[in-house]
Amino acid sequence: MLLDGKLSELPRLTAETARFCRRYSLGEEVELQLNLVLEELFANAIRHGGCEGVRDAARVQLEMLPDGVAIEFADRGAPFDATAAPAPKLDAPLETRPIGGLGIHLVRQIVRDLRYQRVDGWNRLTMRRPSREKEGES
Amino acid sequence: MIQLTEETRSGWRVVSVSGRADAEAADALEAALRSAVEANGRVAADFATLDYISSAGLRAVLQAARAAQTRGSEFAVCGLSAPVRKVFDMSGLHHVLRIHGELPC
Repeated sequence: MLLDGKLSELPRLTAETARFCRRYSLGEEVELQLNLVLEELFANAIRHGGCEGVRDAARVQLEMLPDGVAIEFADRGAPFDATAAPAPKLDAPLETRPIGGLGIHLVRQIVRDLRYQRVDGWNRLTMRRPSREKEGES
Repeated sequence: MIQLTEETRSGWRVVSVSGRADAEAADALEAALRSAVEANGRVAADFATLDYISSAGLRAVLQAARAAQTRGSEFAVCGLSAPVRKVFDMSGLHHVLRIHGELPC
């Protein structure tokens, strides 16, 4: 699916994620995590990548694999390699804890095999949300 | 979509948050929590009916916790569902916030 560069596209992204999870009988935790990954990447592209107000600014694709869900997220924003972003200081106290970097940190907690390419003016990220048998997920 | 309601329960001003604390809703969440913190000495965010939270929602909670600390108020988060709790755990915010299983919610 294609998304315009505005946060009001989030409900459409959520609905698409829900449809995908229903189709493959994925549970609420998988759905929440897929949604979280996509929102974080999309919100970053809008806030920091210059995608605000850009038509068809981002492209999202989900695909079911035997061992999880393949996620592809691409945006037309400024070149940004999410795989190279520094990790936030998670143990810092409340007063000094930096506000930024949390979104990408969450993405990295959830997905494996995160890869970045810059292709024809698009940032293209591919990754996999692994399935976990202990939670009874498919 | 996010729904915010407030009431006082056994000495705590409780802000109940329902729906989705996403990037679209984060400003409304932060404003509600901060104004509760400005006006009350003990504030709890009740997330029992919260379905989803992203980093934008977490930042709103963190800002409210900072405002409470500056003001000398108590601020707690409670009622987290398992999937939402997991996002708090992944963020590391559970180290800096007071998170209750039940009380004061």
